[in-house]
Amino acid sequence: MNMIYIVFIVLLGGALLTFFANRISGLLRDTFFLLTILATTVLFFTKIHIGDTVSFTLAGLNLKWGLDAFGWYFSLIVLGLGTMAAFYALSYMKGKDRLGYFYFSFLISILSMLGILMSHDLVSFFIFWEVMTWSSYLIVIYSGRNVQKNGINYILLSALGAYAMLTAIVMVYANIHTLSISEMINTYPQFSHVQQVWLPVLFLMAFSVKAAMMPLHVWAPGAYSDAPMAYTSVFSGALSKMGIYGMVIVFVSMISYLPDDTLFKETFAWLGAITAILGTLWAIAQDDARKLLAYSSIAQLGYIITGVAVGTDLAMLSALFLAALHALFKGTLFMAVGAIERQTGTVKFTEVTGLIRKMPWTFIASLLAIIALAGIPPLGGFVGKWMLYESLINSNHYILVIAIFFASTAAFLYCYKFLFGFFLGQEEKEWENVKEAPALMVLPMLILAAGTLVLGTFPGILLKPADAAMQTLGYASTEGHLWSMSILFNEWGDQVLLRPLVYAIAGTFLFFLIILTVKGWKNTRYVSTKDISSSGEVPLEYENLTFSVNFYQPFLRAVGPVMKKRMIYYYREFGSGMEALFDYSRRIYNGNGQTYAIYVMIFLVIILLFKNSIFG
Amino acid sequence: MVGTPVLFIAIPLLAAFLIPLLGFVWKESVRILPGLVLLYLLYLAVNLMGQVAHSGTIVEVIAGWAPPWGINLVFSPLTGLLTTLMILMGFIIWIYSYRFKNIDFREAVKYFILLLMMITGSVGIVLTGDIFNQFVFIEITSISAYALTAFYKGRDSAEASFKYLIIGSLSSMFLLLAIVLIYSQLGTLNMADIADKAHLMKPGFKILALIFFITGLGIEAEIFPLNGWTPDAYAQAPGPVGAAFSGIVVKAGVYAMIRVIFTLFDVSGTHQFLIIIGMITLIIAEMAAVKQDRLKRMLAYSSIGQMGLVIVAFGIGTEEGVFAALFLMLNHAIIKSLLFLSGSYLVYNSTEKYIHETDGLAKHLPITSFLFALGAIAIVGMPPFAGFWSKWSILSAAAHSNMILVIVLILSVSIIELVYYFRVVNRIYFFPKQKEVEPKRPTINALIAMSILGILILVIGFYPDSVTGYLHSASQSLLEKGKYIQDVLSTGQLFIQ
Amino acid sequence: MEFKLFDLSIVEYAFFITAVLIILIGLYGALVKKTLIKIVIGLSVLDAGINLLLISVGYVKSGTAPIFSPALIKDMPLTLENIKKLSEGMVDPVPQALVLTAIVIGFGVTAVALSLVIRLYRHHHTLNIDEIKNLKW
Repeated sequence: MNMIYIVFIVLLGGALLTFFANRISGLLRDTFFLLTILATTVLFFTKIHIGDTVSFTLAGLNLKWGLDAFGWYFSLIVLGLGTMAAFYALSYMKGKDRLGYFYFSFLISILSMLGILMSHDLVSFFIFWEVMTWSSYLIVIYSGRNVQKNGINYILLSALGAYAMLTAIVMVYANIHTLSISEMINTYPQFSHVQQVWLPVLFLMAFSVKAAMMPLHVWAPGAYSDAPMAYTSVFSGALSKMGIYGMVIVFVSMISYLPDDTLFKETFAWLGAITAILGTLWAIAQDDARKLLAYSSIAQLGYIITGVAVGTDLAMLSALFLAALHALFKGTLFMAVGAIERQTGTVKFTEVTGLIRKMPWTFIASLLAIIALAGIPPLGGFVGKWMLYESLINSNHYILVIAIFFASTAAFLYCYKFLFGFFLGQEEKEWENVKEAPALMVLPMLILAAGTLVLGTFPGILLKPADAAMQTLGYASTEGHLWSMSILFNEWGDQVLLRPLVYAIAGTFLFFLIILTVKGWKNTRYVSTKDISSSGEVPLEYENLTFSVNFYQPFLRAVGPVMKKRMIYYYREFGSGMEALFDYSRRIYNGNGQTYAIYVMIFLVIILLFKNSIFG
Repeated sequence: MVGTPVLFIAIPLLAAFLIPLLGFVWKESVRILPGLVLLYLLYLAVNLMGQVAHSGTIVEVIAGWAPPWGINLVFSPLTGLLTTLMILMGFIIWIYSYRFKNIDFREAVKYFILLLMMITGSVGIVLTGDIFNQFVFIEITSISAYALTAFYKGRDSAEASFKYLIIGSLSSMFLLLAIVLIYSQLGTLNMADIADKAHLMKPGFKILALIFFITGLGIEAEIFPLNGWTPDAYAQAPGPVGAAFSGIVVKAGVYAMIRVIFTLFDVSGTHQFLIIIGMITLIIAEMAAVKQDRLKRMLAYSSIGQMGLVIVAFGIGTEEGVFAALFLMLNHAIIKSLLFLSGSYLVYNSTEKYIHETDGLAKHLPITSFLFALGAIAIVGMPPFAGFWSKWSILSAAAHSNMILVIVLILSVSIIELVYYFRVVNRIYFFPKQKEVEPKRPTINALIAMSILGILILVIGFYPDSVTGYLHSASQSLLEKGKYIQDVLSTGQLFIQ
Repeated sequence: MEFKLFDLSIVEYAFFITAVLIILIGLYGALVKKTLIKIVIGLSVLDAGINLLLISVGYVKSGTAPIFSPALIKDMPLTLENIKKLSEGMVDPVPQALVLTAIVIGFGVTAVALSLVIRLYRHHHTLNIDEIKNLKW
């Protein structure tokens, strides 16, 4: 049997076994879970080769699965992050209820993501897309918090997107009588103009929901923060990338054929940038670390969308690079929050402080990830951002550069808040006995964080497969011309021209850091939060005096007007309006049998009156 | 030959008659006999399906009066498929309700007689080839349905049943009027004969008869605004009866209506009309379902909505459309029955059947809750479960006929549907349990019945080819009007040349 | 709508007109009257009207019963033409059979309806249909 089938069978079977093993013993369940994900990863990377395909017929439709370089690049993200998160989950989820259910959904969502990446026809793409939706939905509602609000928001917007995509798919199917994606791409230039415009719109609607793009992002903060952190790292790191995956295909294969006056690229580039700015601003205002990271994810995906939408080869390369990198650092950060949540029981900046000595490894992983996120050299984020700026400038999107630059500068604020709020600052009595998270949680974080470090120095490791992926999409190889032109790299990133400089900067920074720490160490005096001078006022017991309260008050006041109305209010108002309408509509059924009989007669009379126009 | 189609009507009628008599001898026989009958009929139906696939439509002549004079039964791929489906659903409902009314012998007698009569009537509607005979079967079905709706004494079931009865009487009036019109014009009651001679009718009378048929059968098929009785009847009937309504009775009503529109008359504009009324039914029903606070009522509205969708699919009128409609009927029968069966255990000990009484029951009724959730996911059309394939077929049929607006409306309504189903599932799994609610654990036979339905959902979902072959031949058989006429009229010798 | 179609003289229209009138009276009773009993009576009247309509379809003016009695056949050989000739003067038997069935069904429905009315009265202590609306929306 073909290896592609085997991978899916292993995942599905493993998911079911894990689910049922839960009733027998916890150890068996964990073993199955880990074995499944490891076996999948190993089988996938050793036995499935780029170019493998299988095809079969189901319900009279020709379905085709296969792997190409572009899908392979994204499966790297999915399986890499998935495996790490699986290890992390074993420890993180220990002792919680319904673990069979959680692991089952986890594995099914990995399966669905692989399925999406390997689908070569529209129906299996849609099927896996929907499977991904409900399996991730199952995890979003796993915790049982706000299921009616966040869970329903998520499934509602996902369904909106998925059904838009389904409309597009049936349109294509009716038009060309085949479901093959490549066939659709090939015949796209011959479609009528209306369809040429509508198809990308409908597809992009589905993809931008998953990629949490404005104005379809409203589900993301709730869903990201309600899912267990072990899964949120996959959710934000890999699952949202499926949206990016789809977007890249649509932009490359459809929108590039459209005349420029359709403004698709400009619109999406700007939507991406606006998403980045607003996401960043909202992230700064959050007190809940999960929410902060959720908004930060929205913002980061905004950059990637901008890169995809601009669509020059460098922009696309940067988008792909950032997509993988985002998986690394956001995965780490969500895991770190999970570790803090597990050890302290809260994730609020206003409650937890000074964990640096209690949880040093978590701190180091978070530090690396934050540096990567902020785009400071020498970590990977810098490379990605640099390429994005360069590509935007090269393609004359100057205002866009300013917007993106603003967003990524503002991102420093929440990065700092994250580090400072949790790890630095006073150590409080309350958190005296906090211990470092178990090794099984720390190691995945460190591995992922080390990944960002490696990629900062040797971006070529990732850029080569990204380049191969782009060649599948029809770009010329960027290896030759692009790298010699870039200021940053000369040779595929193996030798960074600026590396000595980068290391000099980093070394100086580190030097001063050490000096200051050592110097500061001596002058340190441990005080409690109550030990402050407050102009003669004695703070009351219940007053929260943690420094994280109103952390960026002046800044937030400055940007206040932008953030006053959130998109979700409009959705809520629309939703409650609709529900009122629905509630009103059911009053037709007023409970009186005679009225129903009169409806029958009215129906008859209306048809009789209009019978000539109805039955021509 | 294992049997003939007439056994589908004769045996259950006989059994319904025998049940109380045998009950005096051996009480348990009251419960066992219906099951044996349905099992035998299922065997017969499957065998006949094979025979039909092999050698074509079976036309059975009753009492030697050849068509177009006598009554005849037609077991074609279409009617055979629906018969098999109905008998299967009947059998599953029998398994489910085997322990139903365990204590009270007299109640059990009533219940099983009425259930058998209802199934017989529905099967008769599908099999018969004679419009008056069809009317009689519709009445048999309706009367037993009235009685089953009013089965529980304590609730408002009599009210629901009375509403059903008023509307049902109007339905039979319209059917008789249509039959009068046709008979006065053509002098025949045989469907194939009518179809053959329909062009001889004056157009005005033809349309009038069609309108009467649509109104009369539309009541059985639950189209808006003729469906006022539906939510009440579904919600007040016992759980398995609700399942039987949505899995068996409605299907027969829709079949009768479609047979009239596709075979009897060939009036242009009917298809568009079907799409419009189906769409209105779908939209209003799903809108009404969102704010329901009673579980079964919500399921009832959802059922109406699905029937609207079926009618839209029939209205598309192409082979694909009919295929999609039949597929949806099949899936809906399975999934909605599962929802009714599992749902009625979730609100078992409650009198008002509020949705909030199901809160947090997943811990107490894990399998029932799981099956309900499976049904909910399947009915909103999430792949890889059964509902997805029917939704896909409808959409692709609509797309092939260039009906973009239909697609958009169907999908928008699907979103509404998704919201209210998922809200309920969330409550079952994640809300704290209400203290005063005492969950009732399902009996083993109920669990078996529900699991069979759950497995069917998975089988069709993962391997739709297991049914698509039958559905394709059924849809062709509906569209090949000439072949139907020829099959029926060529049976037996004509009495007068 | 042209009524020529039935090919009947004005006397025979009386059947149709009466039948339609009875149907309308029945509908009035079922749709307008508020008392459950009256509604049931209305439905029965409706039934009667339809039965009359049905049977009048098969009516042949001064026709005989559709029975090939020995007195009718006498010594005629039963050839096709003879049968046709004989049956010309007979009323159509099919509507009569249909009406018999319809009457039985109508009887059954009325019985169920009345028993439901009893149940409703016991439950609600009223016969006014406007007050029996526990199930709505």
